[in-house]
Amino acid sequence: MKLNKGIPGNSYQVMKIDLPVRLMRRLEVLGMTGGTSVRVMNTKSRGTMIIKIRGTRFALGKGITENVEVKEAKD
Amino acid sequence: MAEMTKKNSGTVSKGKLTIAFIGNPNCGKTTLFNAYTGANLKVANWPGVTVEKVEGSMRFQGYDIKLVDLPGTYSLTSYTMEESVSRDFILSDDVDVVIDVVDASSLERNLYLTLQLLELGKPVVVALNMMDIVQKRGMEIDLHRLPEMLGAPVIPVSARKRRGLEVLIHAAVHHNEQRHPDPLIHEHRESEFESRHKHDHHSEFAMVYSDDIEDRIDLIKDRLKEKYPEIPNHRWASLKYLEGDSDIKSKYPIEISDISSESLEDKIINEKFDFIEEIVDECLVGKEQKAAVTDRVDRYLTDKYLGIPIFLLIMAVVFFLTFTVGDFLSGYVELFVELLNSSVSSLLLSLGAGSAVISLVCDGIISGVGGIITFLPNIFMLFLALALLEDSGYMSRVAFIMDGIMGRLGLSGRAFIPMLLGFGCTVPALMASRALEDKRDRMRIMLITPFMSCSARLPIYILFSELFFGKYAMIAAYSMYVIGIAVAIGTAFVLHHISKTKLENALLIELPEYKLPGARTVFIYVWEKVKDFLQKAGTTIFVASVFMWFILNFGPSGYSSDMGQSFGAAIGRYIVPLFVPIGLGFWQIIVALIAGISAKEVVVSSCAVLFGVSNINSAEGMSSMLSQLSAIGFGPLNALCLMVFSLLYVPCVATIITIKKESKSTAHATKCVLFQLLTAWVMTFIVYNLGRMLI
Repeated sequence: MKLNKGIPGNSYQVMKIDLPVRLMRRLEVLGMTGGTSVRVMNTKSRGTMIIKIRGTRFALGKGITENVEVKEAKD
Repeated sequence: MAEMTKKNSGTVSKGKLTIAFIGNPNCGKTTLFNAYTGANLKVANWPGVTVEKVEGSMRFQGYDIKLVDLPGTYSLTSYTMEESVSRDFILSDDVDVVIDVVDASSLERNLYLTLQLLELGKPVVVALNMMDIVQKRGMEIDLHRLPEMLGAPVIPVSARKRRGLEVLIHAAVHHNEQRHPDPLIHEHRESEFESRHKHDHHSEFAMVYSDDIEDRIDLIKDRLKEKYPEIPNHRWASLKYLEGDSDIKSKYPIEISDISSESLEDKIINEKFDFIEEIVDECLVGKEQKAAVTDRVDRYLTDKYLGIPIFLLIMAVVFFLTFTVGDFLSGYVELFVELLNSSVSSLLLSLGAGSAVISLVCDGIISGVGGIITFLPNIFMLFLALALLEDSGYMSRVAFIMDGIMGRLGLSGRAFIPMLLGFGCTVPALMASRALEDKRDRMRIMLITPFMSCSARLPIYILFSELFFGKYAMIAAYSMYVIGIAVAIGTAFVLHHISKTKLENALLIELPEYKLPGARTVFIYVWEKVKDFLQKAGTTIFVASVFMWFILNFGPSGYSSDMGQSFGAAIGRYIVPLFVPIGLGFWQIIVALIAGISAKEVVVSSCAVLFGVSNINSAEGMSSMLSQLSAIGFGPLNALCLMVFSLLYVPCVATIITIKKESKSTAHATKCVLFQLLTAWVMTFIVYNLGRMLI
C-alpha cells in the first residue's frame, strides 16, 4: 500500500520510495530509508500527513506520501 | 560569558582560530552562538530561522576566535544551495574546528550529519544540546560510550540555560591541537560478504562501511591519490565518487566505471543509518516513558477539521491584542509627546527663535517623528504575539494546516511561513523564503508577500479607521488584513493557472516539539523589533519629516506658511488626475503616499506635517485632522481607499532592495514594483466605485 492510505496511530514499514532522486535523497538523509518504521500521527484529506520517523515528526505533502510504498508493521 | 571574555582579555594572542557551528535545523546553534558572542540574532522554534552565515568573535585562553553560525542542514550533499554552501565553507581552509550541535532529543536523526562531518576529516567537537529534554523523557545518554563510538569529543551543553559553554569552547580549542583521536574499536554485525582483503579501519574511522563498499573506496582512493595527490581527504572524495557527487566528479575527473557503474548513495546512506542504530542501541539508555505532550496538543491544533478554525482564531486574537492593548498603552506615549511638543515650543520661544525654526521643530520633526512613536505600543504588541507564536513551535504546524489551500495555488504549505512572517515585517519574511527549494516558488512568494500587511502599515489603519469609522474602526482595520491575504492568494492562484509547468510541490518540514516560549528569546525578538522601529523613527521618518516640512513650506516664492503655494503642492497637483478615479485626488494625500515609499509609517507622519497636527494619535489631534480633511472633501470612502491603496502599493525602499538582492534580478524587482502599483490602483478603483454605488 501507499503511505497516504495510512491510518493515524498505526505504524508502517517503508518498502520503496518512488520519487525524483533529489527528493528521495532528502527523505533518506532524514532517516526514511528502506525498512524504517514510520508512524502516522495525523492526516488531512488530500494526503498531507504528519508522521514520526526515528523519533522526529515531519509534515509530508501528498506529493510525497502517495509515492512511498509501505507495508503494515506488526507492532 | 562576559566574565569569561574579561578574564582572558589583555593577554597576548596565541593565534587565531575559526570555529564553525553546524547542525540540523532548529537544534539550537544560534542560541549557542548568541550565548558566546553576545549577539542578539533571532531565535525561534521552527526549522530554517537562520538563512545566512553569521560571524562573531570572542577571546578564549589567549586565542582570538572567530565563530561562524551556519544555516541548519540535515546533511552535506550538494542537492540544495544551502547545503553545498555549508559544505564548501567547512571544507575550506578557513575553518579550523567544527562544532556539531546535536539535538540530543532527536539523536538518531542528528547523528547522520555528525557522521558526514567526521568523514570530512576536520576536527569535530559534538555539542550535545537539549539534554534536559532527554532526561525529562526518562532517558539517559551514555556519555562515555558515545565519544568512543564517534571518535570525537562529546560535550553536553544547554544553550538556553548557558551550561557547559566554557567546557565546549575549551574542547574545541584543544581538539584543534590534537588531530588524531584515539583508536575506536567496535565491530559491526556479521556480514556474508567475502572481501578481497582484510579491512582494519576501525582504528581510524568512526564510520566503517561493509567490506563491499570499503573495497571500492580503496580502489578509487588509489586512483585519486595517483592523479590528484593534492586532495586533502582521499577517502572522503572516494566516498563522494561512489555516491555520484557531481561537484567532486567534475573537479577531479577519473574513470571508475570498472569499480562501480551506478551510484551507491542509497546503500551508503543506509549503512550510515545502520551504524546510527548501533550507536543509539548502545548509548541511549531507557525507553521513552510518557507520550510527549506535543502529540496530545497536535491532536487538536493539526486536526483535519479544527486546524484552520483554530489558526484563524489565533490570528484574530493576535490582532485584537494589537489594537486594544496597544491602543490602551498608546495613551501614555501620547501624553509624553504632547508634553514634549509644548515644552520645546515654549523653550524655543523663550530663546527668541524665529517662527520658521519653531515650525520646523514642532510641526516638522515632533509632529512627524513623535506622531509615529505613539504607535509603538501597537507594534510592540504585534511582535510580542508573533514572537510567542514563533517560539512555541506552532509555525511549522501552520505549514501543515495551510498545505491544502496552498496546494491549490501550486505552492507547498511551507510557503505560507514567509507570508505569515509578513504580518511583522516584509524584509525578514522575504529572506525566510530561502527555505523554499524551488526557485519558481521563491519568485512567487517574493511577489505576493508584500501584500501581507506589515506592521508599518498599522499606523495608517489605526489612524484613518478611528477617524472615520468610529465603532467599526476595528472591523475596518481587520478588513485590510483580509484584503491583503485575498490579493496575495488571488495573485498566486492566477499565476498558478497561467503557468505551463504544473508541478505538485511536496511539503516536507520538521515539526519541532512544542515548548513554552523562552522569556529571553521573546525579549530579544521583541526588543530587536522595537529598536528597529525607533531607529527608523530616528532616521528615515525623521529625514522624511524634515524633507516634507521643507517641500511644504517652501515654494517658488521662498518660505511661506501657505502650503498650497509650496513645491509639494505643485508636485501633488501634477499627479492628481491619476488619482481622481480611485478617490484619492487630493494633492496632500498624494504627497504623503509618495513620501510613504521611504517607509509606510511616513504616510502618517507626513499627514501630521501636512495638516500641522502635533499629536496625531490623540483625540485632540484626530479632531483637528478630521476637520481639516472634511474641509477638503475627504470622507469615509476616501479614507477606505487610502487604506486599501496603502496596503497594496510598493511597501518600502527596504523591501524593494531586499527583493532585488534575494532574486538577484533588477528586472524581477522592477516587475514586482510595477505589479504592486498596478494592483493597488485597480483594487482601489474597484473599492471606490463599489462604494460610490452603495452610498
